[in-house]
Amino acid sequence: MRYIKLPSENFETFFNSLREWGKIYGPVKKGEVYSFQEVQGAGDMALDYNRTMLPPKKFFVRPRDQILHLKNGRWENGVDDERFVLFGLHSCDIHGLKILDKVYLGEPADPYYKARRKNALIIGISCMPDEYCFCKSLGTDFAMDGFDLFLHELPDGWLVRVGSVRGHEIAWENEELFDEVTEEDIQHFKEFEERRASSFQRKLSKEGLADMLDLAYNSPVWKKYADICLACGNCNMVCPTCRCYEVCDKWINAYEAVRERRYDSCFMESHGLVAGGHNFRPTRLDRFRHRYYCKSYFDPSAGFNCVGCGRCDEFCPAGIEHVKVLDEVRGSLQ
Amino acid sequence: MSENPYVSHEARILEVKDLTPREKLFTLRFVDPEVGENFNFKPGQFVIVDVRGFGEFPISLCSSPTRKGYIQLCIRKAGRMTKFVHKMREGEIVGIRGPYGNDFPMEEMEDSNLVLVAGGLGMAPLRSVLWYAIDSGRYEQIWLFYGTKAYEDLLFRDEVVHLLKHGDAVNCKVKLAYEVESPSCVYLEKGFSDRVCRGVVTDLFRGEEFDVENTYALICGPPIMYKFVVRELLNRKLSPGRIYMTLERRMRCGIGKCGHCVVGTSTSLKYVCKDGPVFTYWDALSTRGLI
Ligand SMILES: Cc1cc2nc3c(=O)[nH]c(=O)nc-3n(C[C@H](O)[C@H](O)[C@H](O)COP(=O)(O)OP(=O)(O)OC[C@H]3O[C@@H](n4cnc5c(N)ncnc54)[C@H](O)[C@@H]3O)c2cc1C
Ligand code: SF4
Ligand code: SF4
Ligand code: FES
Repeated sequence: MRYIKLPSENFETFFNSLREWGKIYGPVKKGEVYSFQEVQGAGDMALDYNRTMLPPKKFFVRPRDQILHLKNGRWENGVDDERFVLFGLHSCDIHGLKILDKVYLGEPADPYYKARRKNALIIGISCMPDEYCFCKSLGTDFAMDGFDLFLHELPDGWLVRVGSVRGHEIAWENEELFDEVTEEDIQHFKEFEERRASSFQRKLSKEGLADMLDLAYNSPVWKKYADICLACGNCNMVCPTCRCYEVCDKWINAYEAVRERRYDSCFMESHGLVAGGHNFRPTRLDRFRHRYYCKSYFDPSAGFNCVGCGRCDEFCPAGIEHVKVLDEVRGSLQ
Repeated sequence: MSENPYVSHEARILEVKDLTPREKLFTLRFVDPEVGENFNFKPGQFVIVDVRGFGEFPISLCSSPTRKGYIQLCIRKAGRMTKFVHKMREGEIVGIRGPYGNDFPMEEMEDSNLVLVAGGLGMAPLRSVLWYAIDSGRYEQIWLFYGTKAYEDLLFRDEVVHLLKHGDAVNCKVKLAYEVESPSCVYLEKGFSDRVCRGVVTDLFRGEEFDVENTYALICGPPIMYKFVVRELLNRKLSPGRIYMTLERRMRCGIGKCGHCVVGTSTSLKYVCKDGPVFTYWDALSTRGLI
């Protein structure tokens, strides 16, 4: 890794220099929730945010996305080619994107996702966990790749890890804004990370988790929670790794139609419904359990399908807590 | 940009044939000869049919790659889009993308016996296997056990009845089960009392012995059928690794992105469109919810 320092007084100039890359999106506070929005100046951002409601997946897999346009009986692509900056991503969200990459860039690659991924400049930022975070348990509390630049807070600026050639080039073009990293900066970085590591309040016991859950298929705990779940699908919408989509064609006039993708949720009854009315997950219990299995699936090459961001807990209207459900299901095995 | 995997290729309907009141057979050819040339598929694979402006749906390829120049799809009128396709006529254009999914291991099974077990519409993908096996002549004994509700529901009736009568010449033994009686069934049953019976598809196993060392079973039918057919096969000591089945799930993308076809649990999660639709019974034992 390459390390440089961005002193506080140069932060704004650096931020403004990113405009050359494209529009800048960063965490903005609206009422009690944060969301990634287009920002004009560094001051528009709330860089000490805990988590946004929708994760950055919305820039790559959009809630609604017109993928094809039917004109004169033929499909035309709408692959967009606009560069943009995502400023201030937390490590867990960077890991979330890496999980999406595996799906959307896997052969055959999704051309829309691929183009947007290529066009996005990713700038990470350090954070302190709140009561919902459990990324440390999943090893997603620190990103070693998947970003161009990563800013770590120092008392008088930022220790910047340069994670890609592109990141290097951006820093290079603004050479005069950066300093060498000093012994003191390293000390502060170390202290920050230690303090952060000891601040986690939630922990997921991962040991043998995938097998334990599989063995607990008939556990009454699933039912207990499925009974209080509202099946609203919020947890799917806000999850940085949930990506199910539904497709639908719409006519805009007598000659033109569009094919649109939309977020879908495995909590919806239609999710597993096939012709003839047969449903492969007919009950809410089936669907509730399916989401936990999907999130806790352990891929030997990519790890779990959950990055511990805590969104599903914070935004669940029924107050269902992810780690608690998993712990209880595991506990019910004895 | 490389080719967009979501854009379908135009295919012209060469022929539409009524198989039953609910199912039609569509014979298609790609408009662009180069696309047709490059469209190489294997028995068990499926395509996504694109009715531009209305939507897309998955359909098994029911013709065999041994017969070139066209593809065939057997489509049941099941809902909005399939109803629309049923109204289409010769000469009209649909979109096709694919082929998708894995396939039956035709090469691995060479020189072996094949037991094809079809229930209802399950005959469609197995017809591809059946033709392939007969055309290539590389398989020992082929059994086709085919169960339908009534004689009127028999798909590819002419072909199946022809094989019932003359299949022995190509080492193919066809057996039929029906649930609702009709004059045609009674007539067939009279002529082939050992091969046609009233009952369900598992009844056709009666009196049949397989050389378990050298036999593969291939199953396709409604979800309920698998458990019972598998039981018959296991009773005859066929290994779970030699029992192949092709499954159906709700599918949108066909290429592992949309998430609808995902099944399994935390230890094994599979995409039916990409890891399947062909699975072994061993897969079903290790992936909960597959059947
Ligand atoms: C791998 C594979 C191979 C297949 N092969 C064949 C084949 O060879 N031949 C064949 O005929 N079929 C085949 N099918 C099934 C075929 O894909 C479906 O019959 C088809 O998609 C139905 O589409 P439709 O638009 O006509 O029906 P839809 O209008 O989508 O509805 C079909 C049925 O699905 C249910 N449904 C769907 N969406 C909803 C919703 N949002 N809300 C409520 N209910 C809903 C309803 O019960 C409805 O009756 C295959 C499927 C798969 C996955
Ligand atoms: S957010 Fe909560 S209530 Fe809504 S579907 Fe998810 S678990 Fe159920
Ligand atoms: S399951 Fe919950 S905690 Fe895990 S990544 Fe999704 S939203 Fe975050
Ligand atoms: S059909 Fe979309 S993931 Fe399988």
